[in-house]
Amino acid sequence: MLALTANAGKPVLLVVDDSPAIHRLLSVKLRDEGLEFLTAYQGEEGLELAEAHQPALILLDVNMPGIDGFETLRRLKSHPETIEIPVIMLSGDDAPEQKVMCFELGATDFVTKPFDVSELRARIQSALRIRTLLIMLAQRAQVDGLTGLYNRAAFDTTVANEVARSIEEGEPLTLVMSDLDRFKRLNDTFGHQAGDAAIASFAQVMANEVRSYDFACRYGGEEFALILPGTAQEEATVLCERIRREVEQLSWAKYPEMSTTASFGMTNRAKDPATPDDPRSWVEAADDALYMAKENGRNRIERFGGDGTDLDDTLPVRLAG
Amino acid sequence: MPDPTEPNATPLRSEFADDPDMAELIELFVAEMPDRVSELHRSLESGDIDQLESIAHQLKGACGGYGFEVIGHAAAALEQVVRSGERDVSALRSEVESLVTLCSRAIA
Repeated sequence: MLALTANAGKPVLLVVDDSPAIHRLLSVKLRDEGLEFLTAYQGEEGLELAEAHQPALILLDVNMPGIDGFETLRRLKSHPETIEIPVIMLSGDDAPEQKVMCFELGATDFVTKPFDVSELRARIQSALRIRTLLIMLAQRAQVDGLTGLYNRAAFDTTVANEVARSIEEGEPLTLVMSDLDRFKRLNDTFGHQAGDAAIASFAQVMANEVRSYDFACRYGGEEFALILPGTAQEEATVLCERIRREVEQLSWAKYPEMSTTASFGMTNRAKDPATPDDPRSWVEAADDALYMAKENGRNRIERFGGDGTDLDDTLPVRLAG
Repeated sequence: MPDPTEPNATPLRSEFADDPDMAELIELFVAEMPDRVSELHRSLESGDIDQLESIAHQLKGACGGYGFEVIGHAAAALEQVVRSGERDVSALRSEVESLVTLCSRAIA
């Protein structure tokens, strides 16, 4: 359930050019660049291949019969599926207006034909390097550094999407807020590094227990959130109970005296019935349940709307919407 | 002794002729030349100026990469004249002929 995934396989390069002589030349001259080639002879064909194969980079000829390179570029940059793919324009014309137009339409770079092969290679590698960095940056922006779980920013986006989707599709959704019990005391007793270790271990238990379609995130400090799509409260309770028991049994070689427990609060609806689709109101409901779990002795799971004395004594699962 | 006034007499070799990577590519490129030449002639005779421009443009872009920069320059010159607005086929004849001559001299 870690958000960072390795980038497997060779990067795919899509070449869109009406001249077979150019395709042949490129496939030989670029064969040591570690790329896989896709070939299109027309703009329309290039658009289809770009959408279907999501290449890492596109080389796009400006002057082509049918829809030309400018129009192809414009369409690439107006579709969400292809907007992020970097495009290097190839043109036999080096008029500044033409270059400016390409950059305005969203091209990454511009190379004039006839091209110098070593320059083209360098520009391709540069475009691929920038793409890799951008992907890393986008992933980092979503991931918590200590735990590798999603961070708060990713949570805010996901909870809003999942609440909306659950209401639209009439599918159940459970939101869980959870935190480590007496975390301040643990920090004071064993030190902040021990506290970090406890947080990291708690996160690891969560990451191991959730299913591929669940969303686990570090909400802040020692507080975590689980977004469980398509999951009613009974099922969510089973999942949280597994996590709770594992946390209880955690131990650390470096801090043999240390142990910890976690409390959980869950909800399947917004706190305020007037705003069933407000994600903040969902978080408030789960927080209320978490507060109840703390009040009732910690190391336990409570549901929003339950009376807090017995887990089985709760509202029936209510389908959202 | 070849006649120096006869343009076909001097073969034009690719600048990359000694690059083993390029040998097969250049061979293919040269093998396609007769087709390009007849296409140029046909377009000139039928007055298809758009087609002339398109062939010239492709040659301009590709020839440099195959080591036939001279042909690329001739193609660029033809493209330039067409783009300057020349629609009279007879005024294009000399540019087309020099391009054709160079294309016919290309050898692998």
